Amino acid sequence: MTETNALSGRSWRSTALYAVLVLLVVFYLLPLWTGLVTSIKADVLATAPFLPPAPAGFTSVHWTRAVNALAGGLVNSLILAIPATILSALLGSMAAYGLTTLDWRYQVPILMLFIAGIFIPYQAVLIPLSKFWASVVPVSDLVGYVGLAGWVGDLVGLILSHVAYGIPICTLLFRTYYKDFNEEMIEAARLDGATTHTIYRRIILPLSVPMFAVTLIYQFTQVWNDLLFALVLVGPGAGAPVTVPLSQLGASLSEVGFGIRMAGAFVAALPTIIVYVLFGDQFAEGVST
Amino acid sequence: MRGKLAAYLGRLVRRNRVRADGGEVNANATRDGFVSDEFTASLPYWLPPFVVMGLAVYGAILWNFFLSLTDTSGFQTPNYANLDFEMYAKAFADPVFIGALRNTFALLVAFTVLCLVVGLVVAVLVDQGIRYENTFRTIYLLPMALSFVVTAQFWLWMYNQQNGLVNIILGVVGLGPYEWIGNPSLVLGAVVFALIWQFSGYAMVVYLAGLRAIPTEQFEAARVDGATTLRMYWRVILPQLKGATISASVVLMVFALKAFDFLYSLTGSYYPPKGSDILATMMVRQAFVANNRAYAAAIGIMLFALALVIVAPYLLYQYRAGEL
Amino acid sequence: MARLELDDITKHFDDDGETIVAVDDASIDIEDGEFLVLVGPSGCGKSTTLRMIAGLETITDGELRIGGRRVNEAKPRDRDIAMVFQSYALYPHMTVRENMSFGLEESTDLSGSEIDERVESATDTMGISDLLDRKPSELSGGQQQRVALGRAIVREPEVFLMDEPLSNLDAKLRAQMRTELQRLQEDLDTTTVYVTHDQTEAMTMGDRIAILNDGLLQQVATPLEAYHAPANQFVAGFIGEPSMNFFDVDLEGDSVVGDGLDYPVSDDVRAKLDTDALVLGIRPQDIELVEEVESGHDVAVTVDVVEPMGDENNVYLRLPDSPAGETFIANVDGRTLVDEGDDIVARIPEEAVHFFDRRSGEALRNREFDDEADVDLSL
Repeated sequence: MTETNALSGRSWRSTALYAVLVLLVVFYLLPLWTGLVTSIKADVLATAPFLPPAPAGFTSVHWTRAVNALAGGLVNSLILAIPATILSALLGSMAAYGLTTLDWRYQVPILMLFIAGIFIPYQAVLIPLSKFWASVVPVSDLVGYVGLAGWVGDLVGLILSHVAYGIPICTLLFRTYYKDFNEEMIEAARLDGATTHTIYRRIILPLSVPMFAVTLIYQFTQVWNDLLFALVLVGPGAGAPVTVPLSQLGASLSEVGFGIRMAGAFVAALPTIIVYVLFGDQFAEGVST
Repeated sequence: MRGKLAAYLGRLVRRNRVRADGGEVNANATRDGFVSDEFTASLPYWLPPFVVMGLAVYGAILWNFFLSLTDTSGFQTPNYANLDFEMYAKAFADPVFIGALRNTFALLVAFTVLCLVVGLVVAVLVDQGIRYENTFRTIYLLPMALSFVVTAQFWLWMYNQQNGLVNIILGVVGLGPYEWIGNPSLVLGAVVFALIWQFSGYAMVVYLAGLRAIPTEQFEAARVDGATTLRMYWRVILPQLKGATISASVVLMVFALKAFDFLYSLTGSYYPPKGSDILATMMVRQAFVANNRAYAAAIGIMLFALALVIVAPYLLYQYRAGEL
Repeated sequence: MARLELDDITKHFDDDGETIVAVDDASIDIEDGEFLVLVGPSGCGKSTTLRMIAGLETITDGELRIGGRRVNEAKPRDRDIAMVFQSYALYPHMTVRENMSFGLEESTDLSGSEIDERVESATDTMGISDLLDRKPSELSGGQQQRVALGRAIVREPEVFLMDEPLSNLDAKLRAQMRTELQRLQEDLDTTTVYVTHDQTEAMTMGDRIAILNDGLLQQVATPLEAYHAPANQFVAGFIGEPSMNFFDVDLEGDSVVGDGLDYPVSDDVRAKLDTDALVLGIRPQDIELVEEVESGHDVAVTVDVVEPMGDENNVYLRLPDSPAGETFIANVDGRTLVDEGDDIVARIPEEAVHFFDRRSGEALRNREFDDEADVDLSL
């Protein structure tokens, strides 16, 4: 008697639990779902925003337009995000090696400076940064000497800026990883005659592959998603990463513009969504460190 | 901290001097031996990234600070000979600044606290040994992988006054429609809600890691002791999530300070919806639209100070706990 | 192969301005081909000493010589040593073959085929030839241990350093590896320094053992010397299982007197006692249990607890006047039948008794042991 009671109590609880969990799924996916169905409606107001269009009301025109409007930005974002991500991950791994595996005094204060760098509001460095690329190292002029358009230079400046400001978080990610390495293993390598350099190349780097995955995925998402630096250092124009034109998309079109807005949002987010779906665990590890 | 750093710099200088003279290295090595060996060996690894990062972060902040002491505006060249805190005084007399400051704090507090609460609740639910846990977790964290620019588009549509889903849902229970973005007294709340949607998944992941670090025996012991689920979480589990709460709230607050991208994207311009101007948006507008560079620099420095107030105790806490 | 000399080796650690002495003035000469065990409780400085020999820690003071050459400043790679670590410290991303050839690739100019040859002969020696292409994660603890040893012997170094290499193995495997290691060391005849906190390992493996406590070298001696003729009370208590029994006593006339103990000493023994405040030590194995008091060396006691171990019994005894809980141990044959609460007599033979200076701990009189035949028998 009591046993069946307890049992039904438990199953009732678990049903309620799953109901809440599914409701949460609805909550987190609803804005995306609404956006998705809206993006394929010829008339965005034809049905309720969360309902798909009637077969006759389906259109791919928003997507075509969005892709056309954002294609250049997508290419720029790729040119931006891939090298910036790889470079900052590599520098982060090096810094973490020099500050963790190699053991010397007062490395913690240096490390603190790296970590504090993660939390800097970019507004505090924005003017010097734009000034730096405009007058100290005028990349957009410099690339002119090798026959490239100014926006290429702007993009190079943007890449290097993302590298510089990405170093702190990459260093921290690798630091937490290297800290757990077996110290005796490094000592064994040293007794085996390995130099600092060979230890890094033959022991640390091969063992860092999982952390590189985490860092690359996290940092790629960060760089891809950024708007502020892109806006200030490149601005709208030929070199603009995808977030810049997306923020302008359909702004003047009121309700009617939402079809293309939603399609554009998906087009711009697609690379990050793909990366997230494929490597969600690494992304989770990146954010929770 | 500072004493240590000074001592360290002192050693650095001394060591370099010995090196420069040559020959004395060995005499020194018998005392410091591998410490200095390890140090020299480590330089090629951390020094280049450190210089790049140091210039980009700390060099730029210093430059920005000096700029904020000038009174550069328009297209003048900054005059670094005449420095004062005029821009800071100007800020506190500027109602726009005061408004932005108030909004910044409101956003910071409301967003962080609510995000933590939602994240904790979701984490506890996910931690019940459910099936498809990975799938649920992946879905809840998904919004965080999206750009502010992207999520702003979605929420603009959700908040649309006539046809937005939010007003449609509220309409079912006889509320609204509200002008979420257009009404200055509603917009900040709407922004906070959208940001919670985007970042509560992050708080969940951090709490989940914290919950997983608590040994199962404690849950069992509490249950054997006869604690109800609610009391067990309140008295046994929650206190142990202090570390997770601290680190999550620091990261969330810093996200809130950076909410520029979201607000910019709501209007596609440097002028965010009325009632939602925060320091981050005001600074960029002053710098690149109004061209009041010194004033913008001062706002930037104050934002930095705000971040420092949040982050410094956290780093110190981490340092003391030996987490770094 | 080489002689290894530690000459007044001292290590100071700097802990936030405070100086901690980890090793104080240790001098040990380790003969070519000798197996020396460094033993002591945790934190005694034995690992630090080993790491100084390896070059993983700097030497604050003193001189370290390998084969007569001062190596204080030499990098680990230039000392011609190989080390086996407690955690094995295998490279997880490399196969057994790669693990073992790594050191040869990094520190020698041997060609690829010469390296292969040496790796294969070392794996033959260790009996792990069939594991060459596995990664450490695919090996059992015992196999990893063998790979770690193989990685050391393949280098053919002057000196082997081993830091508690067996402590991660289960008891049975540990006993097996102990003999195997000993045989290996005898075959290779390489000078070996072996660190352990386990006195069984120290007693069974070492040609000589060096006992450390609190950074101070207590005694360097053969295992039997350390057991029968400890230099001081610490060594006496540390070596031997169960530990030696100690009684605080004072010299009064012809006897030493302590709580409930009045023990007559002969003139020979008395002559060696140059102070009144003493500690009397007797190994549990040397105490006999008898029925009746027959001489002054017999003490009436009560049985407190009996721990039967099968072949032997540890009998906890209490002197009539001593408070509950204060017991000493007699280790007797497993067939001796005694029960809790029994009143019996403990016989403490004078030839087996040790005396220590209560203040300095220094041994004043050790048990009689000079018979070579005795030594051979007990081996």
